[in-house]
Amino acid sequence: MSDARRPFFRRRKTCPFSGEGAPKIDYKDVKLLQRFVSERGKIMPSRITAVSSKKQRELAKAIKRARNIALLPFIVS
Amino acid sequence: MPLYETVFIARQDVSTQQVETLTEQMSAFITDGEGTVAKVENWGLRNLAYKVKKNRKGHYVLMNIDAPAAAVKEMERNLLLNEDILRHMTIRVEELEEDDSVMLQSKSSRGSNRRDSEDSDDAPAAKAADTEETTPEETSEKGEE
Repeated sequence: MSDARRPFFRRRKTCPFSGEGAPKIDYKDVKLLQRFVSERGKIMPSRITAVSSKKQRELAKAIKRARNIALLPFIVS
Repeated sequence: MPLYETVFIARQDVSTQQVETLTEQMSAFITDGEGTVAKVENWGLRNLAYKVKKNRKGHYVLMNIDAPAAAVKEMERNLLLNEDILRHMTIRVEELEEDDSVMLQSKSSRGSNRRDSEDSDDAPAAKAADTEETTPEETSEKGEE
């Protein structure tokens, strides 16, 4: 691909939660949520995961809920 | 009536049977308050992500509730009083899930429905690793020539 050669060009990523067949954000879905937290257990910024801001808010809420009922860690030490 | 989802975690040394009676007790508070319990899910003994009251494991129970706020409040009060319950969370939802939640689905089919999305996530990382590997090889070849 010629695009890949161009410097500072990055393929526009799309939000993993919009469009058809997108997974539903649910605090019970640990497997899904785990992909959006860092190794330390922090929530990943949307500029890395390309989640839309609306979905990022939803996702953050779900992760925080999962943390509250000990499905996800607050910190991994 | 508003719809709620309640998850509570019972202590790890409580037996499965005791968890069931606990669930029945809690459902009784709902039915007494003229509400209905749409679904009860037992997720079984799960590892906690962190220690809660010195427990590493806990029995998770999910309840889908359609009840007036007063009944839910009464149940929550009793969940707090009960010493076998480590933690609980009640949230209001727009609609109740009728089928099994993700938790039970992943247990039965090991998350086969989520494989395709995982592949797409791994792909960029693999590509990055490839480019890193190829560059030192090219330079070494040049050095030999």
